[in-house]
Amino acid sequence: MIRILSVDDHPALQAGLQTVLSDEPGLVLVGTVADAFELWPMIDRTRPDVVLLDYHIPRSDGLVLCHRIKQALQPPKVLVYSAYADSSLAVPALIAGADGLVHKSAPANELFNAIRTVADGEKVFPDIPLQVRSAASQQLDPQDRPVVPMLLDGATEHEICEALGLEAPELTARIQRIIGRLHMYVPGNRA
Amino acid sequence: MQRWVALFATTRAIATATAIALLVGHRVTGHDWLLGGIAITYGVVSLAVIARSPRLQSLPVVWIADGAAVLALVLAAGQWRSPFYLLLLTTLVLPATTLPFRRALAYGAATTTAYFAVALATGIDWSTIETTARLESFATHLMVPLIVVLALAYSGQLLERLERERERSEQLAVEAERRRIAWELHDSAKQRIHAAHLILSAVAGQREDARLEQAIGELRFAGEDMESSLTELLTPLLEGRGLGDALRARARELSAATTAHIDVRGESAALPPFILAHAYRIASEALTNAIRHAEAERILVRLAQDPDRLEIAVEDDGRGVPADPRPGSSGLRSMRDRAEALGGRLAITAGAGERGTTVSLSVPLPSNGGP
Repeated sequence: MIRILSVDDHPALQAGLQTVLSDEPGLVLVGTVADAFELWPMIDRTRPDVVLLDYHIPRSDGLVLCHRIKQALQPPKVLVYSAYADSSLAVPALIAGADGLVHKSAPANELFNAIRTVADGEKVFPDIPLQVRSAASQQLDPQDRPVVPMLLDGATEHEICEALGLEAPELTARIQRIIGRLHMYVPGNRA
Repeated sequence: MQRWVALFATTRAIATATAIALLVGHRVTGHDWLLGGIAITYGVVSLAVIARSPRLQSLPVVWIADGAAVLALVLAAGQWRSPFYLLLLTTLVLPATTLPFRRALAYGAATTTAYFAVALATGIDWSTIETTARLESFATHLMVPLIVVLALAYSGQLLERLERERERSEQLAVEAERRRIAWELHDSAKQRIHAAHLILSAVAGQREDARLEQAIGELRFAGEDMESSLTELLTPLLEGRGLGDALRARARELSAATTAHIDVRGESAALPPFILAHAYRIASEALTNAIRHAEAERILVRLAQDPDRLEIAVEDDGRGVPADPRPGSSGLRSMRDRAEALGGRLAITAGAGERGTTVSLSVPLPSNGGP
């Protein structure tokens, strides 16, 4: 039984998820939250295996939240579930430590498979063309660039700290800065 | 400009009437019927010619000729306290409101100098100038052209700035409204479409039904259509920019996010907004496809325009369009729909060799500059 927590502020989508997950054997929706403030108590209470996380969260940023969720000692898997899930979102999602990325227009079985795959400890990402990688790294400060390929190739934060001679808090700050820099403009961001 | 021509016409009519009244009726000026006749002829003819032709209104040669003609009348009247002085002031209206501020002031100063020269030529009676009233009058005659030009040029500049500000704030208001609509679409309708698609696709996993598949397909296309509408709503408006500039700006945005090199050559003259908007969307969709789907490294956009056609070609070195693009693929479909709306032709051809695609658009232009 895979326990799922959904973070999304769109009631229609939450209701749709509830409907399809209630019929699917082996998956159970243990909670739904609409914003970042409700998220932490809900994670503590429900202990989900997989967090299904919208990229656009009111008063926050899905990937910043993702990175914070992954800072826990035994973090749940995080599947970013977004209406903007092409390869250009895959780069910052990987950097934020997400386990997968699924487009909201994906059919239900694709979503179920992605949930099971990340629950098994594997990653679910679209292919990232080389030029999307290099374009992403061009948007960053030169000092932050070496971190990106290491993160994209699956190095752990501990390994990166050793390789670059960084302290953990410093790497965390860098990753947060990179996520902010690669922030994608979507109409949901009430700018 | 319209209001300044009206000011010119009104003041010239009044000045002509004043000059004639002075010439014919005033006891000092002395009933000069010939000069009166010349004045009325010049006033009416100059008014008719200049007020009718927008081209003449902005020609410096015309202003100077007009000023010189009136100075000649002053000279003919024989003294600087001339019945034609008001007429001279009216020659300043068009240059003061057309020229940039400093040049307008220089024009006013030149008029004053010329007037002073004419006054010298008609003879200044220096003994009478010594009386305060005369001196004051002479100084006023010299100062008024400068003051007129200053006031007109200043208010012209102010009006122009106000107009620009108003256009800008209108445009900002429209863009804010478009963002709001985009946000609402994203936040409600699109999420509902995703939810409906999710539920239906779950049902389709349990039960084979062609009608379900059809409904799912429709929902998927609805989602894609909404995506392109959202992109369009979030694209800044094009008003007041050339197609080439707008495409160059788009190319810069795209280049910043990828490694593709985009070169935009050529410029179009002012296009009707309808054609501008559709042509821009077609070309920017072609750019997006080249980068996103064909992974092109170099893209060349060429613009060419003659009086009755607009031609745009987007050439890339990418991996080409698949032989059978997804049926109903919304990007290609919307490009074709737009080309059709313009009564134009859209051709998508493979480049030489294995790679590359050229998207070319040819649009007929309305012959008289706009529908």
